[in-house]
Amino acid sequence: MYSLNARLLISVSLLLLLFFGATIVVLDTAFRTAGERAREDILDGHLMSLFAVADVDPDGVLEMRRELPEPRFSTLGSGLYAAIRGGDDSAVFESRSALGLGLPVVRPASFGQGQFDSLELDDGTPVLALTIAVNWELSSGELKPYVFAVYESLDGFNAQIASFRQQLFGWFAALALIMLVSISVLLRGLLKPLRQIETEIGEIEEGNRVSLSGDFPNELTGVARNMNLLIDSERARSDRYRNTLDNLAHSLKTPLAAIRSLISDLGTSDGDKFNEQIDRMDEIVRYQLRKPGSSAADNLVLAPVPVEEETARLVDGLRKVHRDKAPDIGLSFAEGVSFRGDTGDFLEMAGNLVDNACKWCRQQVRVIVKPAGAGGMIFSVADDGPGVPPEAREALLQRGMRLDEKTPGHGIGLAIVKDIAESYGGHLAIQEAELGGAQFTITIPPQNA
Amino acid sequence: MRLLIIEDDDTLRETLARQLEGEGFAVEQASDGREGQYCALEYPIDLAVIDLGLPEVSGIDIIRAVRDAGKTYPILILTARDRWQDKVDGLSAGADDYVVKPFHFEEINARLSALVRRSGGWASSLLTAGPVALDMSRQEVKVNGDAIDLTSFEYKIIEYLMVKAGEVISKTELTERLYDQDFERDSNVIEVFIGRLRKKLDPDNSLKPIETLRGRGYRFALERNQAA
Repeated sequence: MYSLNARLLISVSLLLLLFFGATIVVLDTAFRTAGERAREDILDGHLMSLFAVADVDPDGVLEMRRELPEPRFSTLGSGLYAAIRGGDDSAVFESRSALGLGLPVVRPASFGQGQFDSLELDDGTPVLALTIAVNWELSSGELKPYVFAVYESLDGFNAQIASFRQQLFGWFAALALIMLVSISVLLRGLLKPLRQIETEIGEIEEGNRVSLSGDFPNELTGVARNMNLLIDSERARSDRYRNTLDNLAHSLKTPLAAIRSLISDLGTSDGDKFNEQIDRMDEIVRYQLRKPGSSAADNLVLAPVPVEEETARLVDGLRKVHRDKAPDIGLSFAEGVSFRGDTGDFLEMAGNLVDNACKWCRQQVRVIVKPAGAGGMIFSVADDGPGVPPEAREALLQRGMRLDEKTPGHGIGLAIVKDIAESYGGHLAIQEAELGGAQFTITIPPQNA
Repeated sequence: MRLLIIEDDDTLRETLARQLEGEGFAVEQASDGREGQYCALEYPIDLAVIDLGLPEVSGIDIIRAVRDAGKTYPILILTARDRWQDKVDGLSAGADDYVVKPFHFEEINARLSALVRRSGGWASSLLTAGPVALDMSRQEVKVNGDAIDLTSFEYKIIEYLMVKAGEVISKTELTERLYDQDFERDSNVIEVFIGRLRKKLDPDNSLKPIETLRGRGYRFALERNQAA
């Protein structure tokens, strides 16, 4: 799809071509017609002067009483020629200028009517000829036929026309160029607000801007306002969804906690059975309510998560929580890592994996974050703990599965990590770590901006 | 140890308070964020349990206010939301640990004990100084391997002094931190209990585990055996 700018410029160029083309044709035709008319008038004048100097004596012999007034008739090859022929086409008179040229013979169709013809001399020079056939009345009353003809070379005229055309094309081309440049400058100005909207949307996608600025021409204010409303309502929807889930979790789990403390307070012998049921309810609530906060499709709402900063914050927190064990947590971040998504989703994945590693490790935990393609992320957490045997890996990712009860945890953390990763089009893999324990790797592909 | 619970669910808060009192804590309770923040900032507190989803003022804001006021006592977050973002926010704001609802009482009690001893710079729940060994998880004191029979109030005093071994603890502080608010505060009672403790721990007066600093208070004087 062509840009608006290109479309407008192409349309305007075509229009200019059509308009200037037609103008050139009209001007050229008018100029040529006017030129030809002037040529004809001049030839007519020359023919009249030929008549004026010709005379027939009483013997019926035509003679020139004096020199023709136009000096060009007397100059060899001047381009202006005159000839008088008798009824049998025999040359009675030829101007000196036509010496050796071989003027073409014309027989006018009727007597007394001037006739214009475009002809060529023997050497190919184009000429315009005006000929007229007359019956000269001798003093004896006898009529003697003669053909009077003047010729003018069209070389000069054609050169004039060519020069006119050249100038016409030159000027119009310059004019078209100036107009195109002006229109393109004008378009740049006119399309600037659209370009600004495009830039601002880009900034929103990159997370550098919250909404579109209000500084647009009247025609676009509505578009910008609606766009902002859309973004806001999308954000509000996302927040509302999360808050609803949070409130639901809070209002379900606090009573569960109260019931559990009452049971332990009462010291009933069936306490374990009650607690088992509470655990089941808790797991269901936890799993169902910890759905991904956003999906990868919500690009306008999602901003890039500062992965390094958030991971550092998480690890600082976990160092406090696991202070007695004091695991050695190493962080390694490569350049160009990007996770466009919900910070809560990122922390949920990272938190579960790093916390698990801290619980299971003997001493060492390694968090390695690398880019996956342009704009994706590979987040690996490795430990030096007992690891996960290959046959148990798939089962571990299923909801609620626990391989070992010896370490506290709800057992659904990995299933949640897997769900979130998949909602971003990614996946969670379990491998053996170089440290000897397990390595959990989340791969999130680049999110389309 | 004086412990503050800020939790808006009455049943949960009251049950938890009763159970923790049974473990020897002097418990203050607050049922909303505003009251909780007041208590957290104004009361002599050794330890706080703060729910994140509170009415009026959020748990995170209370934690920030406490830390901004320069108070360093340990804080345990209670969270029902169970989102890592909340946990990380709470821990970044200054909390020391978290427990997710619905918790087992044993879990919260163990976390609180751990926070108490860590706040005193102890790495394990067995606090040893010279021949004196105090096991926080079993609430048991031994001298040279022999168990000493202590009343619960005597245990509270020796635990408090040993957790803060090396620090001078005033009589007022001991009274405030160990008595429930409702009891009459009489510093003479503290002197009586210190006297009894000395006799039980050091019958021949050779160890001198508890030092009296005239006009200032008491100090557990034996050198710690663990690295702080």
